[in-house]
Amino acid sequence: MFFMFSSTQQRVAEHSAAESNARLHEQARERIARSLRSGRVDARLAELDREWDTERTLQTNFALVTLASLALGAFVDRRWLLLTGAAAGFMLQHALQGWCPPLAVFRRRGYRDAGEIERERQALIAAYRR
Amino acid sequence: MGPDIALAATATRVAANTAESTKRRLRQRTQHNIERYAAAGPAAIDARLQELQREWDVERAIETEAPLMVLAGVALGAAVDRRFLGLSAFAAGMLLVHSLQGWYPLLPVFRRLGLRTTREIAEEIYALKDARGDFDAVLQAGDPIQRAELAYAAAAPR
Repeated sequence: MFFMFSSTQQRVAEHSAAESNARLHEQARERIARSLRSGRVDARLAELDREWDTERTLQTNFALVTLASLALGAFVDRRWLLLTGAAAGFMLQHALQGWCPPLAVFRRRGYRDAGEIERERQALIAAYRR
Repeated sequence: MGPDIALAATATRVAANTAESTKRRLRQRTQHNIERYAAAGPAAIDARLQELQREWDVERAIETEAPLMVLAGVALGAAVDRRFLGLSAFAAGMLLVHSLQGWYPLLPVFRRLGLRTTREIAEEIYALKDARGDFDAVLQAGDPIQRAELAYAAAAPR
């Protein structure tokens, strides 16, 4: 059943502006050169493990919007539940197809998907591989 | 990127919340796949790499399941009894636990079904790319920065 959906690894990049993608790669390559020059590869690898990726950011964002709109819908005005429904619809759309409204904002702010972070990690590891 | 507070590391937080026996089984499967496809030659590696690009990871499964629970709770809460909104709140709360700390109620199920993390899938991807010879030029370069540049280019998904 999985072939009908977009690729897991590519769906964020495919639904981001080409300039955002290009800038993220440019910055990654600059950072790789900088960490190798300064000799702080291990520290950089630990940083990369901690870096918040698009999925973690979108999940946190979605959970907080859901909790806030549910509280408002239950105690203030039930029309707030429309926001809950919209947020859930967009989270689902992101999971299945890749795009959702907050993605463009997070991409412009420099959030990468896990595969892009992994790529920087692999390049750093390869620098000293025997 | 992200809040600079002591939270579980993004890339390893799911593995940290997975039973050792399950992780061992997933690792064995990954290792078995690497050996099998590497031995089967470049065409088999190409096809396998395409498959790996599409493989559903843990995050994608959770991002599908959690909003469905939220939607079900909102629909039932609006149409049947507002106490069903508690289901939505529970789902959102659990997703927050997952995003911040890594654990999730369905994580043991998803993991036993064989869903891997991006890091675990990447292990297979890069081992197969290596077996295909994608990193041969990297190993020949002497300067670490040049090696990393070549490796970054070779690591592009294809």
